[in-house]
Amino acid sequence: MNGPATNTLPSAAGIGLRAPHYREVLDTLPALGWVEVHSENFFGGGAPLHTLFRVREHYPVSLHGVGLGLASVTPLDAGHLSALARLCADVQPAAVSEHLCWSAADGMVINDLLPFPYTREALDHVARRVDQVQERLQRQLLVENLSSYLSFSRSEMTEGEFLAELTKRTGCGILFDVENLYVNARNLGVDADAFIKAIPAAAVKEYHLAGYSMRDGCLVDTHDHPIYPEVWDLYESVLRHIGPRPTLIEWDTDIPELAVLMGEAAKARQRLEAVEECHAA
Amino acid sequence: MLHDELSHFAQAIVHGHMPSPRIRQAYADYSAETALGVYRNNYRGNLHDALAGAYPVIKQLVGDDFFRFLARQYIEQHPSRSANLHHFGLELAGFIATFEPAKELVYLPDVAALEWACHVAYFADDGDVLDLNALAQVPPERYPDLVLHTHPSCHVVRSHYPIAAIWHAHQPGASEDFHIDLDGGPGYALVSRKDDIVQVSELTEAEAVWLQGIQAGARLGDATVTTLEHYPDFDLQATLLKLVAQNTLANFNLEKTP
Repeated sequence: MNGPATNTLPSAAGIGLRAPHYREVLDTLPALGWVEVHSENFFGGGAPLHTLFRVREHYPVSLHGVGLGLASVTPLDAGHLSALARLCADVQPAAVSEHLCWSAADGMVINDLLPFPYTREALDHVARRVDQVQERLQRQLLVENLSSYLSFSRSEMTEGEFLAELTKRTGCGILFDVENLYVNARNLGVDADAFIKAIPAAAVKEYHLAGYSMRDGCLVDTHDHPIYPEVWDLYESVLRHIGPRPTLIEWDTDIPELAVLMGEAAKARQRLEAVEECHAA
Repeated sequence: MLHDELSHFAQAIVHGHMPSPRIRQAYADYSAETALGVYRNNYRGNLHDALAGAYPVIKQLVGDDFFRFLARQYIEQHPSRSANLHHFGLELAGFIATFEPAKELVYLPDVAALEWACHVAYFADDGDVLDLNALAQVPPERYPDLVLHTHPSCHVVRSHYPIAAIWHAHQPGASEDFHIDLDGGPGYALVSRKDDIVQVSELTEAEAVWLQGIQAGARLGDATVTTLEHYPDFDLQATLLKLVAQNTLANFNLEKTP
């Protein structure tokens, strides 16, 4: 389903805009292609929404949700979806995205992004919920691949195959988090090349890049480091295979000076421009 | 079934149960137990951080280590019920009131209640801005019939302790040289938000009683007469100026004299 509202992010580098940088970004208006914010931080309106409206005057805004739980085995949270719909109506974002994960089961809510087995049953379940969300928002949803620390013996397909089938069934787009794929390749032995080939290039509407950290041998998607060289390499490979797309620098813990994020965004922009020249030539 | 699989996984994270045998046990560089530990840490860490974000003054008052201890107990007893982390922490004031290790800090539950009111005010909807010109056109003989509406962020927190002073002493940039008299009598903290700034100020008991009447929908005349019966020194004009300055009044209408 392609809803009336389409994704209009520019094929440029943006940053995840978090509270410590609101003021500086609004005061200095740095040269950024776009910004992304976490949807839930603006639910309920109030002071944060004031800030977002002002940001929206200067930059395309992408709304990135962390709480909808597309694979949760509880009914889709009507209050949460309403709040998201209201935010979309108010902000008219350039893109709306959620994660391919779950966060609630049997009355327990786990405020995290959790993996699930990639089965046909799960595909039916997630596809139904993506349909519901797109119907409600009247727009295409971008679904992000997950970073995982565990996997399930019962999976019947890979995450890439699952996402490909999901886009086919629902018309949703893909937010391709390159760092998440790298983390899964290292942690779980996921075949990164096979993932890149499995997902339809035309459905990929956005990339994410971030830094991870290491705990007892496990790569954890902490968004608290610069992007590692190996992830830049994978990003370059992704750009060659899939093409240039809007690319976001995410940093959520131990958030550094804005200049550090701008530096990372500049590195992404160089790579984007290089591949755009190749595509043009 | 997907449901059983995820339910098992959730129990393993929240309650420390053994995970489903269908979770792969062998990974190249770590054990399944390590991975589960990451999820368990994330679960508690995210909730701890949400509490710390909503209760920065409590955290300063008790210190980081005690706060972590308190948060851990709170998370056990009041697990998250919402996908929106800004909802987490609603019951902290009541929890602290029964939390034995903190019982000597008698003012702590009320400071927590004040911080939650600030947290809610931060996310509260915008209200109308009081139209002072329209108010000036109300003929004085109709003043008693005014029904004043408060801003959605407006909230009064009552305490036996001077919680507004405690709150102000622990804001960024506040002087470290302060003295707070805990026996100075009850305190009333008024919380409201102007643009994106949450403000806290002190009300007298008379002002708090009057505002409570107004918030309950009483007409200006009735609320004022009732307040003056108990507090002959109540100064209506000073109170109104204070509330307007703090963006507490949103709008008004006139009700017919019954």
